[in-house]
Amino acid sequence: MAEPVLDIRNLSVNYLTPRGTVKALRRINLQVPSAKVVGLVGESGCGKSTLISAVIRLMAENARVAAGEIRFTGKDMQQLSPRDLRAIRGRDMSMVFQDPMTALNPVFTIGRQMADIQYRDAVSGKEKLKRAADMLSLVGIPDAVSRLDNYPHHFSGGMRQRITIAMALLVQPKLLIADEPTTALDATLEVQIIRLLKDLQADFQCAILFISHHLNVIAELCDFVGVMYAGELVEKGSVRDIFHRPGHPYTRALLECDPSVIAEPTRFLPTIPGEIPSLIDLPEGCIFYDRCPGAAQVCKKIPPPEVSIAEHHTAACHCLEV
Amino acid sequence: MEPLLEVEHLRVRFKTKSAVKAFIEKDDDPYIDGVMGVSFAIEPGRTYGLVGESGSGKTTVARAVMGLVPVDSGAIRFNGENLVGLSRDRVKPFRRDIALMFQDPAGSLSPRLKIRSILAEPFRIHDKMPENLSVEVARLLKMVNLSPSMGDLYPHQLSGGQARRVGVARALALSPKLIIADEPTAGLDVSVQGEILNLMARLQNDMGLSFLIITHNLAVVRHVSDHVAIMYLGRFLEQGPTQTVFHHMRHPYTQALLSAHSSPDPDTVHHRISISGEIPGLVSRPLGCEFHTRCPGVREKCRRLFPPRADAGKDHQYFCHYPLSVSEN
Ligand SMILES: Nc1ncnc2c1ncn2[C@@H]1O[C@H](COP(=O)(O)OP(=O)(O)OP(=O)(O)O)[C@@H](O)[C@H]1O
Ligand SMILES: Nc1ncnc2c1ncn2[C@@H]1O[C@H](COP(=O)(O)OP(=O)(O)O)[C@@H](O)[C@H]1O
Ligand code: SF4
Ligand code: SF4
Ligand SMILES: [Mg+2]
Ligand SMILES: [Mg+2]
Repeated sequence: MAEPVLDIRNLSVNYLTPRGTVKALRRINLQVPSAKVVGLVGESGCGKSTLISAVIRLMAENARVAAGEIRFTGKDMQQLSPRDLRAIRGRDMSMVFQDPMTALNPVFTIGRQMADIQYRDAVSGKEKLKRAADMLSLVGIPDAVSRLDNYPHHFSGGMRQRITIAMALLVQPKLLIADEPTTALDATLEVQIIRLLKDLQADFQCAILFISHHLNVIAELCDFVGVMYAGELVEKGSVRDIFHRPGHPYTRALLECDPSVIAEPTRFLPTIPGEIPSLIDLPEGCIFYDRCPGAAQVCKKIPPPEVSIAEHHTAACHCLEV
Repeated sequence: MEPLLEVEHLRVRFKTKSAVKAFIEKDDDPYIDGVMGVSFAIEPGRTYGLVGESGSGKTTVARAVMGLVPVDSGAIRFNGENLVGLSRDRVKPFRRDIALMFQDPAGSLSPRLKIRSILAEPFRIHDKMPENLSVEVARLLKMVNLSPSMGDLYPHQLSGGQARRVGVARALALSPKLIIADEPTAGLDVSVQGEILNLMARLQNDMGLSFLIITHNLAVVRHVSDHVAIMYLGRFLEQGPTQTVFHHMRHPYTQALLSAHSSPDPDTVHHRISISGEIPGLVSRPLGCEFHTRCPGVREKCRRLFPPRADAGKDHQYFCHYPLSVSEN
């Protein structure tokens, strides 16, 4: 692999709380190669959003990077001045969040907000609005020109999300980070957005770090996939390896829970019994031990090593059949 | 069976500009139709699924049933009584029987309130404070498999799945007959999603609850709902028993929507029915069949005339001049 756009090495992040230190991320190693799409999946609370907040250096007040480093196009994100950071965010790196209102200001019109984010471009205000309207049409907002005058609350949830996607694309970033961007969209639009992201990626050679619970979307869009569980990256590999040859028991269980692979309609869907362990008092051995159907004696006491299954495909488990 | 909820020709309109602006611009119809005459019924103990493109009006239908947006015309009958036009006082007892399940209790409820206060809110709003609130809170938490000690936590201290359970518990507070769940599992991973849907199915079995579920997730609808409606630009283009609509759909939009759904396999070759073009806006609602601007099978008549309602079988209706033949799917 050439130098990755984003290189996360041995990253650990803690949250300091009155109840103790929440070890939200532990020793994460993840690379996003240039012009590739990397997907992240895992149970809610496994640390996906924390990882992203660390990457963009917009962490909660009580969050601390305990170890590791994050390099973006070779630059160490932790060493950058606030000014350099601002220059990177919203230009080389842009974001789409789960909740569109994180990115939209309720008191300004959509047109104004979309023109404002182009402040670095030396073109007329009229041209900026035209670009904004074009991008809105591209993401499927009807009556784009007239809707530039509307405020965020005039749009449905899904429309608001498409607007934030349009805004993120307007700056033509090197890395687009998307935290569950299609959660609020229906299947046709989701497909449309996925295609749009793919086209954009091909045109602008933009890399994408993509978080989603929609496994079908991950399968369709991504080149590589990382699977997280309770703060650890338990498996990573090419999209084919993850979906066709999952190694880690958690990955396998997760794939089996997907209702779209269950042919016969049923009211009771498969789940992964048990609960995520406390991230304050971590278990001694494997993090998945109390929910793992294949757990062995050794798993209880000794954390599993990262085992290589194939090129670029690794999993952290004692009992892999390699 | 008598339906629990029966919605007839429901219409909801939104003002697009102020009266002054409309006057100045000589616009005598400054309205858009958010919901344009939809009819459906939910029987006791059944689940009705509402799917459709974003902006198609699903949430607006739900809000109308909850009495949260004014109804322009049509009827919303609950247990036989039309709630449209009833005075606030007369409508109140009915509203207790219809609960809304918050999509994201951690986000939509006050982060400063402990879970116990969040669960007490419905009682307070409806002036129905139970004698022993802690007992009631513990009972609600137990119903959704949470320990009573969770009452002392704040929303941000819960996992995504736990927060959703609190949302279910809150909806159950006043022992409703119908629960409206807008995107009940959006943002959850598939294993936790399964837990929440299984919980809802168990409560439905135990208590005979009815559900109106709004979701984008076709895989979920296929498993959990008895009936489904496919919504587009404020109308139900097709509705019927879920299995029928999924396997014997007659409307081209239904077919396109279902074909868009991909499978979780990177090697799948997708045979998608591409629907090109933009989703028309409510402001520029197309004439004739509103899907004609994107329909692969559009013909001349579609551009002029809105198709009449057609019955394809028991409870199965659609609006299309040139429906798919039954053998096509
Ligand atoms: N208060 C309002 N004023 C003007 N237009 C509105 C208002 N509320 C909703 N709309 C419009 O009504 C339409 C339907 O909105 P609604 O929120 O019901 O969509 P939805 O089907 O729930 O979409 P989503 O799947 O994205 O949540 C949209 O075009 C929206 O812009
Ligand atoms: N500000 C915070 N203070 C304390 N704990 C937090 C904070 N933000 C997140 N957490 C905890 O960190 C873990 C990971 O959360 P998050 O990154 O949001 O997960 P995901 O995005 O995968 O759902 C969870 O256990 C969550 O409760
Ligand atoms: S190390 Fe043991 S407990 Fe952990 S996932 Fe592998 S088999 Fe299961
Ligand atoms: S009426 Fe015509 S345009 Fe509308 S869905 Fe049917 S075939 Fe397509
Ligand atoms: Mg998250
Ligand atoms: Mg909605």
